[in-house]
Amino acid sequence: MSGRRIVVTSGKGGVGKTTTTANLGAALAKRGRKVALVDADIGLRNLDLVLGVEKRIVFDLVEVVEGRCQIRQALIRDKRIENLWILPAAQTRDKDSITEAQFLRLTTDLAEFHDFVIIDCPAGIEHGFRNAVAGSQEAIVVTTPEVSAIRDADRVIGKIHERKMPMRLVINRIRPDMVKSGEMMSVEDVCEILSAELLGIVPDDEEVIDTTNRGEPIVLDSTKRLAAIYDKMARRLEGEIVEFTRLEEPSLFNRIIAGWRG
Amino acid sequence: MHDAQRETQDAAPRETSVAASPTVPRGHAIVITSGKGGVGKTTTTANVGAALAARGAKVALVDADVGLRNLDIVLGLESRVRYHLLDVIEGKVSLEDALIRDKRSPNMSLLAASQTREKDDVDTNKMRALIEQLRESFDWVLIDCPAGIEAGFRNAVVGAQSAIVVCTPEVSSVRDADRVVGLLPQSLEPKLIVNRIRPHLVRRGKMLSVEDVNAILRLPLLGIVADEPEVVMATNRGEPIALDQRSQTGASYRSIAARIVGENVPVERPRMGFFARISALFGGR
Amino acid sequence: MWQRPPHMALLRGTSQGLQITIATGEFHDSVAELAETLQAQPDFYRGSLAHLVFRSTAPSVEEFQQIRGMLDQSGITVEGMLGDESVESLALELELEYLGSAPPINIEDLQKRRGTRLERQALSEGARSLTADFAGARSDLAARRTTPVVPLTQATTLYYRGTVRSGQVLRQLGNIVVVGDVNPGAELIASGDIVVFGTLRGQAHAGAQGDTAARVTAIELSPTQLRIATLIAAGEQTATRSKHRDGGEEARIEENRIVVVPIVRGVS
Repeated sequence: MSGRRIVVTSGKGGVGKTTTTANLGAALAKRGRKVALVDADIGLRNLDLVLGVEKRIVFDLVEVVEGRCQIRQALIRDKRIENLWILPAAQTRDKDSITEAQFLRLTTDLAEFHDFVIIDCPAGIEHGFRNAVAGSQEAIVVTTPEVSAIRDADRVIGKIHERKMPMRLVINRIRPDMVKSGEMMSVEDVCEILSAELLGIVPDDEEVIDTTNRGEPIVLDSTKRLAAIYDKMARRLEGEIVEFTRLEEPSLFNRIIAGWRG
Repeated sequence: MHDAQRETQDAAPRETSVAASPTVPRGHAIVITSGKGGVGKTTTTANVGAALAARGAKVALVDADVGLRNLDIVLGLESRVRYHLLDVIEGKVSLEDALIRDKRSPNMSLLAASQTREKDDVDTNKMRALIEQLRESFDWVLIDCPAGIEAGFRNAVVGAQSAIVVCTPEVSSVRDADRVVGLLPQSLEPKLIVNRIRPHLVRRGKMLSVEDVNAILRLPLLGIVADEPEVVMATNRGEPIALDQRSQTGASYRSIAARIVGENVPVERPRMGFFARISALFGGR
Repeated sequence: MWQRPPHMALLRGTSQGLQITIATGEFHDSVAELAETLQAQPDFYRGSLAHLVFRSTAPSVEEFQQIRGMLDQSGITVEGMLGDESVESLALELELEYLGSAPPINIEDLQKRRGTRLERQALSEGARSLTADFAGARSDLAARRTTPVVPLTQATTLYYRGTVRSGQVLRQLGNIVVVGDVNPGAELIASGDIVVFGTLRGQAHAGAQGDTAARVTAIELSPTQLRIATLIAAGEQTATRSKHRDGGEEARIEENRIVVVPIVRGVS
């Protein structure tokens, strides 16, 4: 079998690449797919933290590439979700430690025994980004509805188009109340500027910070609305046409405040 | 307004005193870094710069994020960018011609990054020379460092004499900030700004506190900045919030500027925002 | 005297590998106990080399093959054996190495097991299951060793003042002493002991060349991961972790697993 190799990138840092990688990967695994998540952010690894496996790292991606261990030895099995594996980055090295060719070989090997290989790309468009993209066939670009993030996403989309890779967009941290009051760009605005096909719209949620700190991806709790949203993204990724969740009407509280602020 | 015939940007303020020798830089260069992207380096650079300029100092802001420039957006100057960092380094244009002066803050100038080039294109020695040249004309040179720890980071650090590390109260941010502190030359004596703190979440144990963050980073605390929607809005409008006298966040940046120039201002704890308090009352998010 | 020596099939780690002691006089009980020990952690010893110590006399060839079969299943390879002249003959017959007479029984060890035990914190269930997870990695760690073993008498100690930060590595043939904290994402690797006069939050590997007597000591021991020789233990969740004892804590290997004990002054 040859699994799909997808890079999750953004250009701008801090917009939610790692959170998206972890949760989308978990959502796919919950649907029964064999998923390997790869942290390409060598030197600034975070995927392990977000998934709560940092204490179980024995080998990392650089050691695999340098031949000091087999891939299977470095892959960490998620204990909560069947079929989910993580290949951590090295912390004590930097992104110049591996080449694009090596990264491609790595992801291709992984794709031999996983349905999905999802690569958490580092911020920027330099060597780390090039490595991550070299190892992928498809891209998911994550952005927030904010000018700087969109500009960086645009730059990255340009580079992805150069490589003729299919690409879809995730808009993260939407705040419907701020969109309504005109303080934040709407989904439509963003899509128009970036002219990309939408994979998902994720509302801003204070709980995400806490779940990240605790190493528990939010999709673990199927009662959370974000879990349903990531599940829909997983389904869209597999080709289903799924309606986008209508982000709720501003709550009573928000409406009071909105009225107050005039 | 532009001089239509010359079509160059407004010149930066020039040193006019004869006594000051042009070969002895007198300004102080600070790099603003974090490791992790998206924690507020650029917003911090813009606002600390604006606050310092508001106190009468001559400030130059340098966007070292070649390829993904953002400092110009945050300052609302994107439409005025003609030349950038690499143009100056490669000798295509003079520094004075590339610097953009901000009309609202006449003491402040911006050297934008290139949007179409890449960080590996920057020659480290020339970057150092550029910062030294800026220090000859400005009291403060603030360098906005890109995310990461590779060439972009190294080039941003190379001309600096001090460092400010920006960190949000999240484990990933702390981990990355720690990595960066380990890579900074000790002579830079980094200081910490904790950004985007939400006191109501800290109180509920849903967010790390400043003490949690500094238990790991162990840096002198330069300031604490609360997460307020006003900041994002100000960014979208291209107006540094440090100039907003009503904003708590603006006040935080102004007191950070005061500390930088050596005033003994105790670090204030952000109050729970008014709306956050209502939210806590309703038990909402 | 004791009625029946406890732990007849003693299994212990040494710097040369596993040492498995079988009391041939009570062969079936010995074997049963060994089987139990192996089953408790089926993959724990995979990849290890073992010397068999036979007390009293050598077993028969069939009995020996029985033991060897059991060890094979757990991935343990028999390198040689120790005992009296009958063991020497057996070794010759099986073409295995005869390593000499059995080492004297360590009376203190036996007494400890029976009576007064040092106060200690056992690994929590969670940590124990994680240790089993790492079992496969033990042989990997052993294989990683590329530099020649340096006897500790020749090794030096690295002394470091300050915080060791995420991504930094201190590596030493010998011991490492840090006066300061070790942050998450930092690594200390020593062939000897590791001492942190501060909070250890990162990763420490003592006895990195296989010395199971190596220790990790810290004022506060809260590592992401601890390694001694080829054993690995993940750090415990901070919520379940008890408050650190004043005076510090030490991690060492006891009965083939890493245990953490408070430092009691005056006791070695």
